[in-house]
Amino acid sequence: MAETIENSHSDEKPKPRVRPIVRFGIFLVSHSFLVSIVCFTSGVLALFLLPVLAKNTYISENALMPGSASPMLSNQHVSDGNRLVKDLTNSNLKSSETGIESHKIIAQYMLDVGAEVSFHKFHPQMNQFHPLHFFSSPDSGKIQENYSCSSYGINTVGIIRAPRGDGKEAIVLVTPYNALTSSFGEVLSLGIAYSVFSLLTQVTWLAKDIIWLVADSQFGEYAAVSAWLREYQTPKFSSMSALNAEMCPDINNLFEIEVHSMAGSKFSNSFRRAGTMTAALVLKVRDQSEQFDDTISIYAEASNGQMPNLDLINVVNYLAVHRQGLRVNVEKLWSFLNLGWLKSLGEIFESLANIAKSLNPKFKFGIPATEYVEGTAILASSLYYQALGVPTGPHGAFRDYQVDAITLEISPKFSLDKVWRNDIILRGGRLIEGVIRSVNNLLEKFHQSFFLYLLTSPSKFVSVGVYMIAFALLIAPLPMVAASLYVDSNSSSNCSKGDSSTPSAITDTDEHGITIRSWRWLNSAKLVFIVHLWGAIVSVLPYFICQIPDCSPTTSFMIWVLLSILSLLILNSVLASPFACVKASQEKEWALVKSVTISSVFIGLGLMSVINFATAEIGALLMVPMCLLARPLKLDVRAGTFRSCCRIICNLVLGHIAFPPAAFFLLKGMLDGFGSANVGGFWMWVESLWAWNSATYLFIGMVQLPCWVLCVSILFHSC
Amino acid sequence: METFNNSKPILLFLLLPCLLLYSLIAFNSSSVEAAMHTNNWAVLVCTSRFWFNYRHMANTLSLYRTVKRLGIPDERIILMLADDMACNTRNKYPAQVFNNENHRLNLYGDNVEVDYRGYEVTVENFLRVLTGRHETAVPRSKRLLSDEGSHILLYMTGHGGDEFLKFQDSEELQSHDLADAVKQMKEKHRFKELLIMVDTCQAATLFNQLQSPGVLAIGSSMKGENSYSHHLDSDVGVSVVDRFTYYTLAFFERLNIYDNASLSSSFSSYNPSLLMSTAYYRKDLYKRNLEEVPVTNFFGSVMETIHTDAAYKALSRINSGRFEAQTSLDQSVHHIEKRMPMKVNDQEETHNIIPEGEEGASKCPWSTFWNKFRKGENVDTLVNYGLVAMIPLLVISTWLVQ
Repeated sequence: MAETIENSHSDEKPKPRVRPIVRFGIFLVSHSFLVSIVCFTSGVLALFLLPVLAKNTYISENALMPGSASPMLSNQHVSDGNRLVKDLTNSNLKSSETGIESHKIIAQYMLDVGAEVSFHKFHPQMNQFHPLHFFSSPDSGKIQENYSCSSYGINTVGIIRAPRGDGKEAIVLVTPYNALTSSFGEVLSLGIAYSVFSLLTQVTWLAKDIIWLVADSQFGEYAAVSAWLREYQTPKFSSMSALNAEMCPDINNLFEIEVHSMAGSKFSNSFRRAGTMTAALVLKVRDQSEQFDDTISIYAEASNGQMPNLDLINVVNYLAVHRQGLRVNVEKLWSFLNLGWLKSLGEIFESLANIAKSLNPKFKFGIPATEYVEGTAILASSLYYQALGVPTGPHGAFRDYQVDAITLEISPKFSLDKVWRNDIILRGGRLIEGVIRSVNNLLEKFHQSFFLYLLTSPSKFVSVGVYMIAFALLIAPLPMVAASLYVDSNSSSNCSKGDSSTPSAITDTDEHGITIRSWRWLNSAKLVFIVHLWGAIVSVLPYFICQIPDCSPTTSFMIWVLLSILSLLILNSVLASPFACVKASQEKEWALVKSVTISSVFIGLGLMSVINFATAEIGALLMVPMCLLARPLKLDVRAGTFRSCCRIICNLVLGHIAFPPAAFFLLKGMLDGFGSANVGGFWMWVESLWAWNSATYLFIGMVQLPCWVLCVSILFHSC
Repeated sequence: METFNNSKPILLFLLLPCLLLYSLIAFNSSSVEAAMHTNNWAVLVCTSRFWFNYRHMANTLSLYRTVKRLGIPDERIILMLADDMACNTRNKYPAQVFNNENHRLNLYGDNVEVDYRGYEVTVENFLRVLTGRHETAVPRSKRLLSDEGSHILLYMTGHGGDEFLKFQDSEELQSHDLADAVKQMKEKHRFKELLIMVDTCQAATLFNQLQSPGVLAIGSSMKGENSYSHHLDSDVGVSVVDRFTYYTLAFFERLNIYDNASLSSSFSSYNPSLLMSTAYYRKDLYKRNLEEVPVTNFFGSVMETIHTDAAYKALSRINSGRFEAQTSLDQSVHHIEKRMPMKVNDQEETHNIIPEGEEGASKCPWSTFWNKFRKGENVDTLVNYGLVAMIPLLVISTWLVQ
């Protein structure tokens, strides 16, 4: 850029040789309009091409060898599981006031097969907004305040030590179970887990310890699992537990009773540990089901779009489909299945692929239109849940400790006879056994396969190398447009200067002018900085708002909006009146502001793509067109051509859509129908985001919102 | 011009003694080659670790069992196993290794002597075993103490590729390394004949650099081909044997210690469609006819006993001519016949070890001279004599031409 300016000034001098890469850069910048259109459209197109480009999954780790061993789970183990199911349902009928009875039963069963058993008592921790806790690892030092003796949960933990293993590694099996309102599905999942557990106490091939965690889900499945994990991974060396016991005598008594009844066995009152966790499986059985087949759903997304290693999903998928004949589902956005335009897009891709195939039979990249629509629905849900940054199940707690974990939800076709129940215990149990045996073969942590991927079907994935292309194309125009805007605003003011003054007067004043002008962008940078600072303040505000007692979501939201506007006004008046002090070179001021805004958005999106790719992708889809199109409405109105009209309309629409709450309502409406969307809903959604330490919250507060404000300020710029 | 013409016959005459010398040397080296086959060794190497490579250990142990069954004693087998599958915690049958899903044969029975195990199996140690360049502390049981009369079987299995074989998932043995080691062995007279058998992907490429005579090589697959496992034991949960080894074993299971099947029958027993790869053997370095070489030459042991009068005393020349060869029943007649022409050479061989004092009493002056010549003492005098002998020749030739 600097060189072009210099060239224009010194024509008589021999032109300095410009390197090709610089020349190419200048070419791109000077054609930034065309380039940005091409890049953006191809970026969107690439996104829609992803289901076509998806590859079949494969087991990447040699050591896993899923399905190479025949299952050993026999009818004996199934009847063991059945016995537990019966006992638990009976005990629930008898005494439903406390869940302690059923925990005792489970513990007794575990002891019977020779496992080590311990209870883990925990107090649920309320998720609270801690502005400084983003990205920080969970710590044990959290002070547990204001719990009462009545609100505690009991996790029952059974551990099988590998008979010839070194005890350094463990595989975790989790079954959420609420003893108070136990549903049949939960009891059945316990039955499946127990049948596997009783088998694993007998086998000789265990190389890793097996931990079976019956997570007390009365305070939520996630809370129980994360409380146990916190205790497991970060041991406390204080006398906290002793204090707890003293403070709550009734709990203490219950434990006493159990210790007596189980004296001489492997029951232990203290917290028991095994080795490093290699993998964790969360097993659930759904109560109601409208499926025609026995299906199994895999939930994999953990916090901030982290995924378990693809190999774990592959193993489950392979065993379920090829060994147990179960259908495997992953989440999909059902509303996508009925979209007509998506279907026609799929048909276009299909016909294009057919044409390519007729030209050269080696081209085989087409997929049928229906498959495309389904793939897109799954891809969209994969993107959505990753972008949300909220784990989709208790497995998310494991990912915080870099343990690969997934939730398996079995939804059987229900009928109540005993044969069916045996069948589902047998198949579910064999699936779990197969996965455990496969993971047992592992020599290292999961590392061979992908961690960054999007699923388009249970057996198809798009890896990071492919989906990054779409994102890179989306954000590629940003630096070019920023550069070209900067060059334009500088050179145009130069020209006007040159016309007015005589050539003789240029000499030293112009030198001075150039230096001043070349630093003029600092003004705009200040403005952008202030708005981002405001964004940070807005992001922190909810911390104070949620301290207000008895506040409904709607009022909270209103307070938030009011405070935000207030803080913007204060900041504006205190630190700068952005457009007031730069009247001298007003006409191109908006271009500079836009240039700096675009640069900051580019940086923000780039950073976010590293933290949570899906958020950055969706954010880029919203923000890039808004940033690129933003132009003062006054100018367009003054021009009055068809093109400027179009631009006005686009700007207005984008200005509405890109506002975070508006985007939320739109998304919510598209997914669940517009009836459910209300103002309080947004507050709740935001609350859930910060409760899960989602980086998406930070992105919205510190990148998207400031960007929107800046774009709107450009739209209403008075020039 | 004339002198130039003269030079031709002179050159001819000069060439004559040279040729003579050359033929002597050639005769000498061939006599070394023809050392008698006196003992058998086997080096069996499994190069890959990890549970999922169970089959490689099973391959090696099967071969170990076979050569032991066919008569190579334990002290002449160097067994290298890169991992311990028998005691792996994932093994459903602790301390047992099977190479078939019928579990009839436990390869890891009472009598398995593993010389190099676990992380001891490295490229360095492997090459040290072959070349015999050990640290002084290495016990005899871990050394390949072969000599110029040894037939060595070298069996290797693991994961390989184009001209390399992986060791321990961390280092590689390249075809150059192998060829170099074999060359060193040859120069150190560490073997008479060497059979290299390799079961790995692209095994044939591993033999590309071999140059030493007396080496026969067979690999499970050609370049660009994979070697596949034979079958999966769904009880143990792993593949238990590779195809090439499986069919090798199938061939040897039919044999007993007295059998006389030839190497060529063994090599032709591999069916590419069953193997799912093409077994390749390289025999251009091997002089003998494969049809006449019994497999027991490598997979079994020498069955004759050489009677000596006293320990630590070499054979006298007279005895060596007709030593007491206790041929066992298995050795066929034609095998003995084949050895007959070698006896002449044997006589010369034995002279090497005759003590200095007895040498003078030797009745054959030619052999005495020959011995001196070999020792390099009389080379100078020989050259001098040769030069002197050439002077009359030179005179005669010039006279004739004029």
